[in-house]
Amino acid sequence: MQPFSHLIVFIMQRLTDNLNPTPATDQLVARCKKGDVRAFKELYDAYSAAMYNICLRMTGNITDAEDTLQEAFMQVFGNIGKLEQAGSVTAWIKRIVVNHCLSHLRRKKVYFEEVDRVEVEEETSVDEAGFTGTVNAVKEAIAALPVGYKTVLNLYLFEEYSHKEIAGMLDISESTVKTQYMRAKEKVRQMVSQKL
Amino acid sequence: MSEHNFEDFIRQHRAGFEEQGPNARVWKDLEQQLKAQQRHSPKVVQLLKRHWLKAAAVLVLVVNSVMIYQFLQFKKQQQDLGTISPELQEAKLYYTSQIEQKLEDIRQYSPEALGLDSTARKELELRNDTYQLLEKELEANPGNERIRSAMVRYYQMKLDLLDKILEELQAKQPGTKTFNHHEREI
Repeated sequence: MQPFSHLIVFIMQRLTDNLNPTPATDQLVARCKKGDVRAFKELYDAYSAAMYNICLRMTGNITDAEDTLQEAFMQVFGNIGKLEQAGSVTAWIKRIVVNHCLSHLRRKKVYFEEVDRVEVEEETSVDEAGFTGTVNAVKEAIAALPVGYKTVLNLYLFEEYSHKEIAGMLDISESTVKTQYMRAKEKVRQMVSQKL
Repeated sequence: MSEHNFEDFIRQHRAGFEEQGPNARVWKDLEQQLKAQQRHSPKVVQLLKRHWLKAAAVLVLVVNSVMIYQFLQFKKQQQDLGTISPELQEAKLYYTSQIEQKLEDIRQYSPEALGLDSTARKELELRNDTYQLLEKELEANPGNERIRSAMVRYYQMKLDLLDKILEELQAKQPGTKTFNHHEREI
């Protein structure tokens, strides 16, 4: 039942995120579209913490995270006139932030490469056992992952994009995304278990 | 430390993975950039950028309206003179053609032979300042008899003046080809 419960949680989050815009969000977006700087500040206050955490997870350090966040919000402010549905504002901002993080990684010469399909078949059975660990140990383990694995793991586990969406973002196959995720997860498990 | 599936563990401890928000400096930098952008791009320009199609449609409507209004005003003025004073309209046509003909004859002479400076030559033209003043008055008061009489007198005086100039020019240079309108009619 567990895979289904994940799916239900995921779908419910997307539905509440995209389909139930509050009147306040509508008004805030409308004010931003008029170029109201106070409205930009309110929008920033509402989303900056969550978006900063995405940047921090993806870039791995505070300076790059803040620079990327700033660039992303300038794009948000500059393009908010193109946002047609105020209800999708969270997903829209998040996608802009993620794109900026990926651009940042590409500037740092991080490449997302395909893996051999045969290996995928072998590795899909890993990790159905229980997981034991602490939050800090997991954070440290994720931080120590190679950038490619870390990116896939973050996008799937924390930003809740599907394997297919991640494949599109990184321009690699869906099976590669699945493999890299499985490998990343296994590495985290190993690192955490070594600290126990 | 209890046992979980890895994904469940992350979801159950999701808040523990969140750090505090960014430094306040990030917003300050953003605010400065926003203000700099707005200074370089005035509000009107921003609005036009956002609503350029509407702005273009409004502009077309305004230009069309102005043109239609001017056309109607022009037609109205023409009709006014014709309907309010058909006699004056007739006199205008007659005198205008006479005056234009004589002016054409005078233009045959060189400026030296004419002996008039540019200001005086300009004053000879049909639509000089006096003419424009009278026409304006007539538009404002189409039924005013005194203005209508003044307009007719203006035409007559201009015609007399042109006749006298032509006579003098012919007296000075009898061999020239110029002739007055009456002679042509004969």
